[in-house]
Amino acid sequence: MNLILPDVRTDVAALARDVVKIYGRGETAVRALDGATLSIPAGRFTAVMGPSGSGKSTLMHAMAGLDTVDEGQVLIGDTDLGRLSERQRTLLRRDHVGFVFQSFNLVPTLTAAENIVLPLTLAGRRADQAWIDEIVAMLGLGDRLRHRPAELSGGQQQRVAVARALAARPRIVFADEPTGSLDSRTGEALLGFLRHAAHELGQTIVMVTHDAKAAAYADRVAHFADGRVVGVTGDEEK
Amino acid sequence: MWRLIIRNTVARRGRLALTLLAVLLGVAFVTGSLVLTDTSQRLLDDQFRTATAGVDLTVRDAAAFDSAMGVEVERDPLPAEVVDRVRAVPGVAAATPVVRGQGLIGVGGKTIVPAGPSLLLSWEPAPVGPFTLRAGRAPVAEGEVVIDAATARRHRIGLGAEVTVRAERAERLRVVGLAGFGSGEGLPETTVALVALPAAQRLLALGGDFSEVAVVAEDGTDVRRLRSAVSAALGSGYEVSSSRDVAAVGAAAAKTQISSLQVMLLALAAAALLVGAFLIANTFSIVVTQRTRELAVLRAAGATGAQVMRSVLGEALLVGLAASAAGTGLGVACAAGLRDLAGVFGMTLPDGGLVVTPRTFAVAFVVGVGVTVVSAFGPARRAAAVAPVEAMRRSSADHLAGRAGWGRTVAGTVLTALGAAGLSIVLAGPGSVVVLGEAAVSTVVGLALLGPAVTPGLVRLLGRPLGVAGVPGRLARESAARSPRRTSATALALAFGLALVSFTAVLGTSIKESTARSYAETITADYVVESARNEMLGGLPAHVYHHVSELPQVAVASRLRYGHWKDGQSVEALTAVDPVTLPRVTSLHMVAGRLDAVAGGGVVLAANVAKERNLKVGDTLAMTFSRTGVQRLPVVGLLRDRDAQALSTGYVISLDTYERNYREHVDASVFVKVADGVSGADAKRAVERALADAPTAQVRDQAAAVAGRNAMIDQVLGLVTALLMLTVLIALMGITNTLALSIIERTGELGLLRAVGMTGAQMRWMIRGEAVLVAALAIVAGVGLGIAFAAGTVAALGRATEATLTLPVGPLLLVVAVAALAGLLAGLLPARRAAGLDVLTAIATS
Ligand SMILES: Nc1ncnc2c1ncn2[C@@H]1O[C@H](COP(=O)(O)OP(=O)(O)OP(=O)(O)O)[C@@H](O)[C@H]1O
Ligand SMILES: [Mg+2]
Repeated sequence: MNLILPDVRTDVAALARDVVKIYGRGETAVRALDGATLSIPAGRFTAVMGPSGSGKSTLMHAMAGLDTVDEGQVLIGDTDLGRLSERQRTLLRRDHVGFVFQSFNLVPTLTAAENIVLPLTLAGRRADQAWIDEIVAMLGLGDRLRHRPAELSGGQQQRVAVARALAARPRIVFADEPTGSLDSRTGEALLGFLRHAAHELGQTIVMVTHDAKAAAYADRVAHFADGRVVGVTGDEEK
Repeated sequence: MWRLIIRNTVARRGRLALTLLAVLLGVAFVTGSLVLTDTSQRLLDDQFRTATAGVDLTVRDAAAFDSAMGVEVERDPLPAEVVDRVRAVPGVAAATPVVRGQGLIGVGGKTIVPAGPSLLLSWEPAPVGPFTLRAGRAPVAEGEVVIDAATARRHRIGLGAEVTVRAERAERLRVVGLAGFGSGEGLPETTVALVALPAAQRLLALGGDFSEVAVVAEDGTDVRRLRSAVSAALGSGYEVSSSRDVAAVGAAAAKTQISSLQVMLLALAAAALLVGAFLIANTFSIVVTQRTRELAVLRAAGATGAQVMRSVLGEALLVGLAASAAGTGLGVACAAGLRDLAGVFGMTLPDGGLVVTPRTFAVAFVVGVGVTVVSAFGPARRAAAVAPVEAMRRSSADHLAGRAGWGRTVAGTVLTALGAAGLSIVLAGPGSVVVLGEAAVSTVVGLALLGPAVTPGLVRLLGRPLGVAGVPGRLARESAARSPRRTSATALALAFGLALVSFTAVLGTSIKESTARSYAETITADYVVESARNEMLGGLPAHVYHHVSELPQVAVASRLRYGHWKDGQSVEALTAVDPVTLPRVTSLHMVAGRLDAVAGGGVVLAANVAKERNLKVGDTLAMTFSRTGVQRLPVVGLLRDRDAQALSTGYVISLDTYERNYREHVDASVFVKVADGVSGADAKRAVERALADAPTAQVRDQAAAVAGRNAMIDQVLGLVTALLMLTVLIALMGITNTLALSIIERTGELGLLRAVGMTGAQMRWMIRGEAVLVAALAIVAGVGLGIAFAAGTVAALGRATEATLTLPVGPLLLVVAVAALAGLLAGLLPARRAAGLDVLTAIATS
């Protein structure tokens, strides 16, 4: 079953408004997000930077529908995630959101090819083969498709993860430090691909990174501190 | 060190809980069996001791053997003058004549037919008589009876009520008292009627004779010496035994039956424990795998391999101790339930306070702790072998979950092949049951070794249908194939249980079918009259035959009797027939000689018996009879085995020969051929009318007669199957356990699947699919093995009894369906847990 989002032509692919997320209770409570507001323009490559523990991952998870928030609003397109049930959020993730984790992105028992189309197969949808072929070719994975994750290098595994994130043509792709476990050359190649995907294929991409060099690949950079966005650079260029 | 072990065990209690439960159930089974059999033995001992408590010596007619293997033979009655001769012996304080026999109690026009005996005894006050009055008074006058309080309560018979007591004669008697036995209200599954001595003699048609004389010695007399004195005074025609011996022999005979029940129960408990052991080994091996990193850190920090091994074994010891303690308690609590279960399947055990001996505790703990620690030994060794560098490596559960080792696969292949070869030899002809047993052990061990090598292939093959369920199905299949050692151990445990269940079903059905077939082919009578009770010798009063044979609706009536005779150390059974009428109600095939020749005092043997004993027509067979001692009977004919089976024994003599050598005069069966021109229903009604004064007699058609013969098999089959279910249950817990552990291990992967859009329902399907797949693997292996070895057993038995293999399709399908459904159930809990995982925490765990 597909969760149909009203296909409104909008410039904003996703929006977090005054989001608060509190972990724990009482004395030990942590305000991981403390009034964070961030809008993600469609078709662009946004980087999120900030010190460790400032709440970047938490915001990613909230915007991707992996987690709920305590206050504020999160929208994907025009859909308010706060109004969705757990099951609806799952279906939304499956059909409209791609996610790349820092590591451990793949199901070990499935081949690379199967991992790439996993969200589609889960939905019982047929893959758009031309599109898959295009991504695979761009990521240089052509000769690795039949291998299982354990037989792939770390960089190859991350590329497979990126391919999977894009396979269902989601509205938005979130990547939480996708180059964190890669060497700089491999990392740069992946960043180059993400920028390419945004610019040439119109894919909306949000990426968390610690690395200023990595952030330089993005169109705009949101700066994060103490659970809120303290500034966005790069918007003025447009 | 111990502190660390205890902390570890407690911390992992969730993972070890099901292991603990498996050991616990096994131990409870062992304990329950021991408590039940100990209790039954003690109660029987008490019963026999009470029966002879106040008497020092018992004088009976001499018999060549008695009470061996549970066979109680009837003896000739004693003439009245024996009592006076006993009284005359110096040292005898009192000699009391006693009459005992069978007498049915009837009340309100209905006869009470207990599953056990219906005793009719002459009343004697204590100490000679074992019964004590609970209400009313003793039966001193004519027309009075005392019955046991248990029967009175069950059938609401009060003091002053009228009952009919039916032995050789029937009389209406008034209940003047109620009696108890020892501390109980009566004897289990038994009715007791106590009347004055003359009444007992009259009811049993003994004239002035007695059954035995109870002797009480004067104070201070040596009982052994008195026994010799009485024996010398009476001569060799009488047997004088000390009452303690009589009680001991009776108790020993009853115990033989209890001990075979004990062997059966303990064998089933062993099966349950074996399956439990599989589960324990599997759990510990998974836990060790999951802890590889931790163990490596310990090793890197300076722990020796021996210390690591001890820590794992220490955990096993703790689990074993806890499980044994709880299991013993549960076992004691369940012993009574086990007794009720045996009762449901027709095995009556005495009811009374439970006996828990120190031996029971010792056995329970040794078994519980032993099984746990020994099963954990392999995993502990592997834990000790973890190298410190594993701490640094990214531990891949994959490679530790165990691909099959080379040596293991080869050994497994060889053993499985040997087992298959042994089975084929038996199926082809020459092999014996012993070969079959060896083949079974070899196959099971071989498959256990071979399991990891063949599991991935098998799982992918069997799991093919799961593919239609899309990715979840495929993932379920792959997950099962990914850790072959784990999957095969889990499946094999269940397979073992299912193999036993299907083996029992196939073997039982085959034997029953063979009995039915040989009966149907051999017995051509329209009806057979048999006792509704399962008396050892049949238990039809002799007059039944006379009444039935005189009916105008009956063309021919022919009767069978059974008897016991002693053959060296063992007791055998024989069948006595009327050689003139038998051929008219049966179709018997003689291999050699003639059946009617038995009229001359000879014996006809079943062909296989003759072969076994190396006898042919013209040879003689020495048979020891209780009444007449050793007799040499000429072999006059050989009977086809199947026909002998229909006559129940491999030795056939004539009724005349029987009459000369036995005192018993009850018939086992009366075959009836309906007269020409009379409808079956009319004849049956006429026969039933003729049986009005024999309440235990039943008119059966062929199907009912076969069912009567197979009732015993049905009972054992039912009890064994019910108890095997425990083994299956433990094996199913194994599936739950393995899945739960593998979910812990795969948390990250499951979280990822949820993150990319697998719904909770899909995830539940995936886990349940894996459970069902493991169950399917077990079904294929288990039911296959069960059928194969049942076929082997039937083939091996078939040479003696002409049994042929019959597959009980319905029951087998039921086993398959129940196992598959149970697999689904076993997956429910892990599936719920997997679907309930929080996506983010799950991913963070990886
Ligand atoms: N499950 C949790 N329970 C409690 N506190 C949490 C949890 N997850 C995150 N936090 C806390 O919330 C705050 C924000 O965490 P978050 O992971 O979003 O930071 P981050 O910006 O992604 O840091 P990094 O750059 O190190 O990944 C931290 O203080 C962290 O300790
Ligand atoms: Mg983070």
